[in-house]
Amino acid sequence: MQPEAAIQPEPAPAAKALTCPSCGGSVALRAAGYTVHVACQYCSSILDVTDPQVKLVTTYSLHMAELEIPLGTRGVLRGVEWEAIGYLQRSENGMWAWEEYLLFNPYHGYRWLVKVRGGWSLGETLTVTPDWLSYDQLGVGPETYTHFFADGEAQVDYVLGEFYWRVAVGEKVATADWVRPGAMLSREQNAHEISWTRNALLSPAEMQKAFGIQPQAKIWPPLPHQPSPWGEWLKTGAMLGALAFAFLLVFAIFFGGTSWTAAGNFPVAADGREQSVTLGPIVLPHRYQSVHLRADVPQLENGWLDLDYSLVERTTQQVYEAYGAAERYSGSDSDGPWSEGSRKAEVSIASVPVGTYDLVVEYKANRWSGVSGYADAVSWMDPANAPVVQVEVRRGAVYASNLLIALFLIAAPLLLALIWHIAFETARKSESDFATSDEDDDE
Amino acid sequence: MSTRTFIYALWCLGVAGLFAMGAIYAWSPFAEGSRARTHAGFYGPTHK
Repeated sequence: MQPEAAIQPEPAPAAKALTCPSCGGSVALRAAGYTVHVACQYCSSILDVTDPQVKLVTTYSLHMAELEIPLGTRGVLRGVEWEAIGYLQRSENGMWAWEEYLLFNPYHGYRWLVKVRGGWSLGETLTVTPDWLSYDQLGVGPETYTHFFADGEAQVDYVLGEFYWRVAVGEKVATADWVRPGAMLSREQNAHEISWTRNALLSPAEMQKAFGIQPQAKIWPPLPHQPSPWGEWLKTGAMLGALAFAFLLVFAIFFGGTSWTAAGNFPVAADGREQSVTLGPIVLPHRYQSVHLRADVPQLENGWLDLDYSLVERTTQQVYEAYGAAERYSGSDSDGPWSEGSRKAEVSIASVPVGTYDLVVEYKANRWSGVSGYADAVSWMDPANAPVVQVEVRRGAVYASNLLIALFLIAAPLLLALIWHIAFETARKSESDFATSDEDDDE
Repeated sequence: MSTRTFIYALWCLGVAGLFAMGAIYAWSPFAEGSRARTHAGFYGPTHK
């Protein structure tokens, strides 16, 4: 029994040369057996190569286009080697021109290399019809596309190379496009057929590697299927930012500090003279801590209390000081009763080192004479009110303000990226036939 | 990991590091009091 012969792929169609009946030039046929029409590279005449005699379809004396990718050039795109065999210039009835290269590989068939405003896409004709998901959305497998360009009309303005159909300058098809980030779904329709092509956006690096195309400057406004450079990163960045902030929050909870404890009470003199009291000792156990002081003056009304705090370390006599004032005012005017200020005043002293401290409070009570210039008949400082000051203390490490600053610093790059992302998406959508008036105005 | 993500991760690490330093030294730019230089004395009311 003979061993089974290995299955060999079909041989690639051989390149074939023919003579242009218009100019006599030698025209290479790169996809012989598949190609129907070929445009002469010397005189741009269209030749029908299905006839052994090579019929002249149309004669053109147009200048040869200076192609970015000369026909016959081979390049590897997404793992497959393609050869550029045909070139089309197309437009929307003479406006908004774009270029299309027909690529050929004997084992993979045809693809389109489409260049629009400096951006390149690799187009593959679909063998299935997309599903309508909603009035403006189509589905192809797991991908969803949103309607971007409504019905337009594309015409062929210039032809070079060979094609698998009878291409002609002036040939027109009805077009419509749907997009998703990174891909565009294009429908082309003529009297005989409807074809669907999925155009995958190629990166400048891919085009440079495959065909040596130099990257262009920034494309603006963006292409319809160009993904926002900030969209994907925003998701990753938001996760990173949330992680960082969660860490800070846990850190702040653990090092937030102690609860308030009473440090002492002291009376307020009725004559408003300067007074002084020493409270303590206050033991601070950590290398550094913040000390928060809160004064409460329950009887305070239409007046203020100046408070000068001095934390004095018993051994080194080093002083840490802060100033606070409790102010409370009230009255009545044409709008009715009003009040402002607070009977409580809180201050903090940062970076206080370890040690045993006395808290010296110098304070002075004041009466407000009011808008009229006359003080209340009964002052809050009157001995009958028995005004006292209650001082509480707590120590800590993490300031809420530091947490807010950190949150702002973590969020700032994300906010910037979000602004850029919105600007990008607004510019991209402004090109759509379905753009809202706001997006059009932004253009 | 993209360069952009890497730089942002470094940024977050820097912010977290500064925050931790602030906590270790119990420091805040908005703290009312600090180590004494000169005695400021009493201030007036802030009311109109």
